[in-house]
Amino acid sequence: MPFNDHYVIIGNGPAGNHAAIILREKDKEAKITIISDECVPYYYKPKLTDFIADEIAKEDLMVSFLDSYKAKDIRIRLGQEVERIDPESKTLFLQHMEKVNYSKLIIASGSRARLLPPMSCYANHLKFVTSYTDVIEVKEEIKKLKSFFIFGGDLVGFKFLRMLNSMDKTVTILICPNAFWPYNLTDDMLAQITESLSKFNADIIVKDDISTIDEQNGSYRVKTQKGIEKNVDMVFSFNGLNPNIEFAKGSGIDIDHGILVNEYLKTNIDGIYACGSCAQIYHPNIRSYTTSIGWPNAVVQGEVAAFNLLGDHKIMESVGRKYFDLEGVKIKTTWWEDIDDES
Amino acid sequence: MKDINIVIEICGSAGEGTISAGEILSRFMSGQGFEIMSFDSYPAEIRGFGKCVAHTRISTSRIYSPGKLADVLIALNDKHSIFQLSTLKENGILIYDSQPVRPHKEDKSVVGWTKPGMISYGIPLNMLAHKATGNARGMNMVALGALAALFYVDKHGFTDSIKARYAKKKQIVIDSNVNSFLEGYSWTKKNIKKIDPYSFKGITSPKQKEKLIINGNQLVAKAALDANLSFYAGYPITPATKIMEILSRELPKHGGILLQTEDEISAIGAVIGAGFGGKRAMTATSGPGFALMTEFTGLSVMAEVPAVIIDSQRAGPSTGMPTKTEQSDFNSAVSGGTGDCPRIVLAPTDTKSCYEATVLALYLAEKYQTLVVLLLDFFLSNSIRNINIPEKPFSEYLDANIAPDKNDLKDYQRYKITKNGISPRAIPGTPGGMFFSTGLEHDASGRPNYSEAGHLEMTQKRFRKFNTVLSEAPAPEISIIDRDEFDIGVISWGSSAGAAHEAAMSAQKKGINASSFSSMMVSPFPEKALIEFADKCKKILIPELNFSGQFANFATQILKRHVERLNFITGRPMASEDILQKMKEM
Amino acid sequence: MKKNDLYSKEEKLFQDKNKIYSAQSVKQIVYSTDVRDFGQVAKSIPCQDACPAKTNIPGYIRAVFEKRYGRAYELNRSANILPGVLGRICSRPCESGCRHGEPDNGLSVGICHLKRSCADLKPGSHRIIEGLYAPTEKKVAVIGSGPAGLAAAHDLSILGHKVVIFEGLEKPGGMLMYGIPEFRLPRDLLMLEIKNILRLGIQLKTNKAIGVDISLDQLKNEYDAVVVATGCVSPRKFDVTGEDLENVYNGLDFMKAVNEGQKPFVGDKVIVVGAGFTAVDCARSAIRLGALDVRINIRKTIEYMRIDETEKYEAQFEGIKTYSLIQPSKIIGNNNKVTAVEFQRTRMEKTDTPPYRVSIPIENSQFLVPTDSVIAALGQTPDEAVVSKDLDGLDGVFAAGDFVTGSSDVISAIAGGRKSAQAIDEYLIGEKRKQTVVRLEKHETSDRQRSYDFIGKLEMNTIDMEKRLSRATNEVETGYNDDQAHEEAKRCYLCNLEYEIDPLTCIYCSACIDVAPKDCIKMIESVPVNPDGTYGIYEETDDWNKVISIAIDNAKCIRCGQCLAVCPMDCISVTKKELIEIDT
Repeated sequence: MPFNDHYVIIGNGPAGNHAAIILREKDKEAKITIISDECVPYYYKPKLTDFIADEIAKEDLMVSFLDSYKAKDIRIRLGQEVERIDPESKTLFLQHMEKVNYSKLIIASGSRARLLPPMSCYANHLKFVTSYTDVIEVKEEIKKLKSFFIFGGDLVGFKFLRMLNSMDKTVTILICPNAFWPYNLTDDMLAQITESLSKFNADIIVKDDISTIDEQNGSYRVKTQKGIEKNVDMVFSFNGLNPNIEFAKGSGIDIDHGILVNEYLKTNIDGIYACGSCAQIYHPNIRSYTTSIGWPNAVVQGEVAAFNLLGDHKIMESVGRKYFDLEGVKIKTTWWEDIDDES
Repeated sequence: MKDINIVIEICGSAGEGTISAGEILSRFMSGQGFEIMSFDSYPAEIRGFGKCVAHTRISTSRIYSPGKLADVLIALNDKHSIFQLSTLKENGILIYDSQPVRPHKEDKSVVGWTKPGMISYGIPLNMLAHKATGNARGMNMVALGALAALFYVDKHGFTDSIKARYAKKKQIVIDSNVNSFLEGYSWTKKNIKKIDPYSFKGITSPKQKEKLIINGNQLVAKAALDANLSFYAGYPITPATKIMEILSRELPKHGGILLQTEDEISAIGAVIGAGFGGKRAMTATSGPGFALMTEFTGLSVMAEVPAVIIDSQRAGPSTGMPTKTEQSDFNSAVSGGTGDCPRIVLAPTDTKSCYEATVLALYLAEKYQTLVVLLLDFFLSNSIRNINIPEKPFSEYLDANIAPDKNDLKDYQRYKITKNGISPRAIPGTPGGMFFSTGLEHDASGRPNYSEAGHLEMTQKRFRKFNTVLSEAPAPEISIIDRDEFDIGVISWGSSAGAAHEAAMSAQKKGINASSFSSMMVSPFPEKALIEFADKCKKILIPELNFSGQFANFATQILKRHVERLNFITGRPMASEDILQKMKEM
Repeated sequence: MKKNDLYSKEEKLFQDKNKIYSAQSVKQIVYSTDVRDFGQVAKSIPCQDACPAKTNIPGYIRAVFEKRYGRAYELNRSANILPGVLGRICSRPCESGCRHGEPDNGLSVGICHLKRSCADLKPGSHRIIEGLYAPTEKKVAVIGSGPAGLAAAHDLSILGHKVVIFEGLEKPGGMLMYGIPEFRLPRDLLMLEIKNILRLGIQLKTNKAIGVDISLDQLKNEYDAVVVATGCVSPRKFDVTGEDLENVYNGLDFMKAVNEGQKPFVGDKVIVVGAGFTAVDCARSAIRLGALDVRINIRKTIEYMRIDETEKYEAQFEGIKTYSLIQPSKIIGNNNKVTAVEFQRTRMEKTDTPPYRVSIPIENSQFLVPTDSVIAALGQTPDEAVVSKDLDGLDGVFAAGDFVTGSSDVISAIAGGRKSAQAIDEYLIGEKRKQTVVRLEKHETSDRQRSYDFIGKLEMNTIDMEKRLSRATNEVETGYNDDQAHEEAKRCYLCNLEYEIDPLTCIYCSACIDVAPKDCIKMIESVPVNPDGTYGIYEETDDWNKVISIAIDNAKCIRCGQCLAVCPMDCISVTKKELIEIDT
């Protein structure tokens, strides 16, 4: 009996899409499915802030080769969330209680905004800019409102600050040293960042933390632990990203902060690969796990995962930038701060 | 004020409250001042687990057709909704049950089949219904709650509509439905991030006069009562049953009689009997029943007895597809039966004109002492519109019999040859007005007479009546009259007319110079007007819901030129999108 | 209460187990020792089955619902003599088993929090009732006053034996007293529940360490039986250089010092190594001692930590960070004081034997983390220096608790203590005096409303960070109030009520299937029987020709009672199934 493989890819971002393209190129017969919990097709996340500012239209946000799904015979399941994986029976349990069987799996589920544990009680008051859905929710309102509070401060956060500035909004930013958890900014770095941000028209608060956020008639009163009080229209949280891996917990796939994979992007379970920002990739040279940052890395990883899934043994050569630039300060992308620069 | 024009479909299994949810939705939206048109489709088998779809179009401007594709699909049942997805727009919205009782096997969930570009909102419909009422019955209301929350529809107004719908039920039924609605509403407000552009926020329609929310069948029954119907005989058949059902309740209150006969043959027999007795009488049936009545229709014509038959068409032949709409009884209505058998055939083009047509049918039958067939179809019978309350018919429409005067009664000739073909008709019991009446060819006194000249004279007299009938027919509807030339003229009849008008108007916006023509009276047909219209058009398109192009054949004889045809027998009403597409191709 | 009195009379009627009672007999109560009934009870009441002490969880939660907190407390106490203590610090194996926590059912019931509620909310007039046996004039020595020792002492005392507990330290309670921080377990409560045990006439001798103050042989001679319940007190070591530096503690010593009221030096930066409760307790205690940067370091990943989600959350909330996939390779000091820990990265590997996933160090991956103090919470092993583990029980020496099982949890220790008491009693008396049976009673209602299934889990009330730091002993969790306990109790499915359809009365109308909230009522074509006699998983069919019965799958049933309400034939029966102990 002829049996066609069913390759399932969880995630519709750069890693997932590029994995799908390679899989289709190399295997014309297999069934390929992409599952994504977002309803929007493949879009370019880094441009979300430009989209809010109306610098680009929705069409420009979309990555062009979406039309080719049909041509490539890739089935795309949008707006569907994977709830659980059972590697034993090779079954995915979707949130709407549908079961999907796979023969091989690539997890490229990406990441989403990290909510600091002490802030969990204010989750309803905080807004994020990590997905199209987040943005659609606040886009029109941002235009109308005046004053904003930015809490945290990661790459997107600073980009967002720049955007609000260009829109002539009143901004207060509280920089959290642990916005890059588990990396902590040192005082020197903090000073450097503050200096760099001073070119913007914003109130900058450092070495403080949020004490309470109260909602009053649609606006918010933010109090810091050192007693600063601000009345603002919206509070945004930018505290880095957390890998989207809840669905893999308890499945037997090794998970730390992200899904642990070896240098071939394979998890501890045969036939399951992970790539992109949801993965923690072992790198033999630095003898540690690293996490991917940035779009180009995700693309390469998606492709490598696909090749290896098909039987190749490609090593993730470039783990990408080991540093990224945060307002002039170099931040390392590995989970640990003391990795030797040369290694 | 912003505009809205949205088609919402609710798809479920029989018994899941699909149709009542659609009904509540359209009633509420009508109350809000929107134009609505809704059309339900449901399985032919009353018992069972077939697919039900409640289709509702809501608009701030006039609606001509139900709309082919839906903007929103509410899936109460995954199995059926997977098929219904094909009528959801490419950027449409799917609202589905994200927490059914039993897990789906692969590819058995509707959301799994959504296409990229569609937006899906998973609402735990079943779970919330259980939460609100302890069982799954409130799923339809939960879905309406979700809909209201997503599209910023007034919660309180909607709740009132639900209460009104179940006002006659026990309090627990009202509470369960309202609670389910609120549960769906608040869950959705709390958990769903809206990413679609549809919104009723800030859209207000001017408060209009009180509206009647009604379907064709109900309107026919109402019109019949308003037009002094005294007698109804019939045998139930989908899709006409509702008319009889309403009249069985209402007619006796108005002093009339309703008789359920053993079959359609005796039904028409009884109607002709009542008509002979001077009473306004009618029956309603569908294609198969109409076929049985055909033999008797000749008697009505020959004996010149008023009779009204309402034929709500469904897909045929034979038992066919009882719950699917079609316009395939045209031939049999216009020319069925034996001999040269002229009759009046009216085909209302939308819900509103069902009223007018029924009043007219009873009037014309009485005045012209002949058979009048009123052609509805499944769609017209069942689609619901909100219309202004129709004005009661003028008194001349209520008593139209041309009675013999003293001179006539001296030597009473029931079938007197007259200039307009109408002979004064004495009601049995009129002193001096005794006469013979028979299905045989007869002379002016009514006595059988088979002479060559007699038959010719009488046939001519019966046909002559129709010259005057046309003068009483409503004027044909033409979408654009003040132009001399059109690239395309769309000629349509019956329920397809709305879609045809809409298509012609959309075509104008798209740069195609088109106009449309339809006439409620199809027999006798206003041929002059038709020819006049067609002469302005370079091309003619005739869309209709039958396979062989029955009306197109009929029109071709009049127009004596080539016409383009567009025929569907999908069981669904005509869609303006399809006509427009055809026009683009022409 | 009246109803219960009646039951106990009824129960006596049925003590003659040779008699056969049908389901139609008086009050419709049946006592069963059938393996199938035990199997069904284990399968359909997973919380109770997961509990080492087999606590009647649905029973006491129902009592909490009825606001009969005293009754609920007694139901607990009959399985576990320290309900108030366990209601705070139990490792909660039951909650992992809870069917409310299964996929698509939401979160498990707060079983432990409700246990605490029994203790917190029972009325002032509550009295403990113990069913005392006549004195046997036998004497038993219990070595160790930890949970296992206390449980054994209590049960032996009930059975009429004269019990003396020997405790090496100053206060009783063992790990409860010295291992668990006071902010998780208030000492006055612990002492109250210990005193409730000692009141039976048990003599407690503290500061009597076995092997130091008194020898095992001595006890063997003086007593008819001896129970060794000394637990696990020897801490595991790092086995790395620098372990002896100043400010390097082992977790148990650290906790002991803290619990004795000392304030061991921690400094600003604290490194805790270990993945269990003790590691978290040490870290949280360090925060209260003024440390600013406390990190827990684990060899494997967070998933493999032996703590529950609440602990993880509380630790995070208090600002403790967890670093995974590392292990210490060297402890570095200056002036004999620790200054840094050299860590080595690890990676996960599989093994063919339990625990199947292990961490192995990566060569040349060392890095330094500066620190002011180090706490090694790597677990403990039994101290076999004094008493050998090879006890056969024949010469009257028995063992219980962690001493036997290795470092486990409090509820297992209590279960172990009780088990050893049974064995000792049989040894002393020469016959079995108690046995466990399944009590089946017809129940008329579901005792639940469908709306209960939609109540979300009630989080435990806690105090804020300021209060936690103002006094280190302030209890963090403050318990449910009366209404909260009642509300949370509603969530329990009451799995001890079993629903069955009588296929002979059923008319196959499917009304129950239509209202089923889950995939719980099925058309089946056969019921496989497991080798042990219990029933297996139903074989379902869609083909009416093959249907032998419509059956309720008790593994899926959430006891909502909807089927019961709609059944036109009244063919659905509810049976209350409970494990109870009766005299043989």
